[in-house]
Amino acid sequence: MFKPVISLGLLLSGGVALAADAPQVVGINSAILGDARISSPTAPQPRPAVLRARIALADGVQTGARSQLQVLLLDKSVFTVGANARLTIDRYVYDPNGGRSFSATVAQGAFRFMSGRADRRGTSSINTPIAAIGVRGTIVEGVIGPDAVAIARSEPGVPRNTPADPATASLIILRGPGAGTQAGLVPGAIDVTGGNHTVSLDQPLQAVYVPAPGAAPIGPFTISLPGLARVHALIFPSLASRPGLVRSGGGTPYPLPASDYGHRPPRGVGVLLGDPTGGQGPADGGRYIPGVPTYDPGAGGPQQGYGAPAGQQAPAQQPDPARKPPPPPQNPSVPPSGQQDPAAPPPPPPQVPGKP
Amino acid sequence: MGVRILGVSLLAALALPVGAQAAAPPDPLAELDAMSRASATIAPGMALARGQIANGELLGALATLERVLTYHPESDEALLLHASLTCRVDDRGGALIEFEALDPDRVGDARWREATASCHTVRR
Repeated sequence: MFKPVISLGLLLSGGVALAADAPQVVGINSAILGDARISSPTAPQPRPAVLRARIALADGVQTGARSQLQVLLLDKSVFTVGANARLTIDRYVYDPNGGRSFSATVAQGAFRFMSGRADRRGTSSINTPIAAIGVRGTIVEGVIGPDAVAIARSEPGVPRNTPADPATASLIILRGPGAGTQAGLVPGAIDVTGGNHTVSLDQPLQAVYVPAPGAAPIGPFTISLPGLARVHALIFPSLASRPGLVRSGGGTPYPLPASDYGHRPPRGVGVLLGDPTGGQGPADGGRYIPGVPTYDPGAGGPQQGYGAPAGQQAPAQQPDPARKPPPPPQNPSVPPSGQQDPAAPPPPPPQVPGKP
Repeated sequence: MGVRILGVSLLAALALPVGAQAAAPPDPLAELDAMSRASATIAPGMALARGQIANGELLGALATLERVLTYHPESDEALLLHASLTCRVDDRGGALIEFEALDPDRVGDARWREATASCHTVRR
């Protein structure tokens, strides 16, 4: 009499264990550019990401040079990773009638996260190797690795000669929504913790820089628009190659990111805010936006492109000894771009047990 | 007999889903698939984004346009609307970078005015 009960108990526990091992789907690959790959705890060998394939908890997302992947989560939050990035969704709890809570890790590269719904409780977080970002209904971007070091070095808000770890240095930027947002959106905010210190950001374009493990966050400071353009180019390499992004007359108005993200840099710093010429217009054909104060990337810091007199450009960037060469493609058979045909019929779901 | 059974079955099959659809919650993954599919090409992606804007889903519209721009970075229309939305979420610095990447002469007066209405006046 005793033996069958034990056997039944083992069977039941085994059944529960199998159900618990089934991967929890949290979203889909909603857009793919270039070399993007997915791995999972049960299939650790990275395989090419497939458009609209399911993303499960603990799946690893990684991208190559000039590549980009957008993950659309069940609550319509969006994670976009740019070139040479590593992303994992570690925890995800979503109740359509309640709230959403998640935790993700970006180990490397550039990312952008947009909340699908307001999460005022701050129960969601994005972790880098050396910083934790508490997210409260927001748009947040970040760069982890040598590009963070390169961009931060040009920021007036970051002290010169700040020691940094090029493998883990983390630059975090709040993009919004700001207090003047429309459509009833809740203004976003983030708390960035590093080295047991926490810095809160609640204004668009506020940034913090965590240069090394155990270091306290530097900031908040307002990121310069050239710096923001460089982050943008890392997250959206397709836009970085957009025709017409190079200023007329050639030349790059600011140093480029360390990563190899494309042939053409964005032209962002050609925009001038305010009108220092008193209505005469910029000599280089840039545009002014009347009514908007001149952008000040940092008190006492050098002007870098924005607001600089016509013809004066930011100094050329010195070679960055911390820069690592871009890794070789992991699969030479994968074309560098245009890998996925968006017009093609949806591919079959990936052959992963337990995934639809 | 066989025809009658088939006919009854078809009626039942047609009738049942109507009631079932009314009660069943939407499949969230199917919805995500549709959003991804729509934003793979410019016109459906723009339509989806404008629908989201009409519903007050500004962040959803931004994400849709970012998918469109992933595949069609040359689309002035998508970038212009993205820049305008970026202004509407009060990220003017980010919007300025995007406006700078656009050629106002190519965009056209009406569209430029519409897009920049949320960002003060942008001189062409």
